Amino acid sequence: MTGAAMSEGAALLIVLLVGFLPTEIWRSLAVLAGRRVEEGSPVFHWVKAVATALLAAVVARLLFAPAGALVAVPLALRLGAVAGGVAGFLAFRRSVFAGVLVGEFILIAGIVLSH
Amino acid sequence: MAAVLRLREAAFPRHGHVLWQQSPLARLRPAFRSRARNEPRVSAPPALHPAHHAPAVWFLKGLKAGLSVPAIVLFASYLGFGAVLQSVGFPLGAGLASTLLVWALPAQLILVGGIAAGTALPALALAVALSSMRLLPMVVSVAPYIRGPRRSLFWELVCAHYVAMTVWLEGLRMLPHLPGEARIPFTLGLGNMLISVSMLGTLAGFLVAGELPMPLAAGLLLLTPLSFTVLMVRNAAGATDWLALAAGFILMPATLGLEGGLDLMIAGIGGGTFAYAVGRLLERRRARGRS
Repeated sequence: MTGAAMSEGAALLIVLLVGFLPTEIWRSLAVLAGRRVEEGSPVFHWVKAVATALLAAVVARLLFAPAGALVAVPLALRLGAVAGGVAGFLAFRRSVFAGVLVGEFILIAGIVLSH
Repeated sequence: MAAVLRLREAAFPRHGHVLWQQSPLARLRPAFRSRARNEPRVSAPPALHPAHHAPAVWFLKGLKAGLSVPAIVLFASYLGFGAVLQSVGFPLGAGLASTLLVWALPAQLILVGGIAAGTALPALALAVALSSMRLLPMVVSVAPYIRGPRRSLFWELVCAHYVAMTVWLEGLRMLPHLPGEARIPFTLGLGNMLISVSMLGTLAGFLVAGELPMPLAAGLLLLTPLSFTVLMVRNAAGATDWLALAAGFILMPATLGLEGGLDLMIAGIGGGTFAYAVGRLLERRRARGRS
């Protein structure tokens, strides 16, 4: 593995330059440029819609193009588990905890039963 | 189990501001409040007559508010991230530093996955930047609630560092009910508690990853997309939110072949703009229908 040969110091430098800087720049820009954006303005609604869609896209990416142990799980089971989680959330008095539990149960039961 | 359920009740009130008063914080509030002896017990709601505390007290209240179900979910999600670190041979110290400094799980996953795959660092920086761009509208939308009556650019920049999914959602829910001068120390307390819990999760995940059988390892990795989806469904209110959620989710697999995080840009900016435009159109039509 590439990472195995990587020293702690080199990895730390990469985290700073390739992880921290490209992420923190948006937070800082938002404070610097977003200071005049007030609640309720059209711009405010637009950025909120974009934030929601980006987040949904990130989640979809984790499901459609996963890494690690999830690669071995069929796509239908990955999607079914999340859909079941949402259904569980709605069924059990909008409890996030119940939703996550139902989704995890479906995934793990699905893996165990298919083996 | 009962304790967890009670925590859930406190952390995820179903009726917004009304239940804020039932949170563990609010229940403790009378202990901190220096109430005048003859002040009537039932006066105005706390949101209108908030208690005045020193910043350190608000910081502690923020720390305490951070110990909630979202913290458990973060712990579990970072458990999965720690497992990924271990599986690709990424050094533990740098992985922990990424939780503290990057503090955005998707960006961290792209970073670590990209390094494991041998992606060129400039391209990887671009991919991380594109995946983290969603933080900009998040910070913009929560910033009006973080900043108090007196504006301090320095503290706003510091507070902005803590804004990611969880602080964004919890901030939008809790901060509007706090007095202005409480918001910065409360945000710092909340953020520091959540980052600490997440670093513990990263550490634990790294240490147990090798020991877990495959179904449990897959379950760990599913926690992030699963909990994020449920949280977004919970927070969706109105046509624009639902459209944005659907557009992002549906556009992503359609654009998956594109390199360098372009898929995120199209699904996010394109999908979000589409949702905003259609949402406005629907609103206007409804307004016209009423008049």
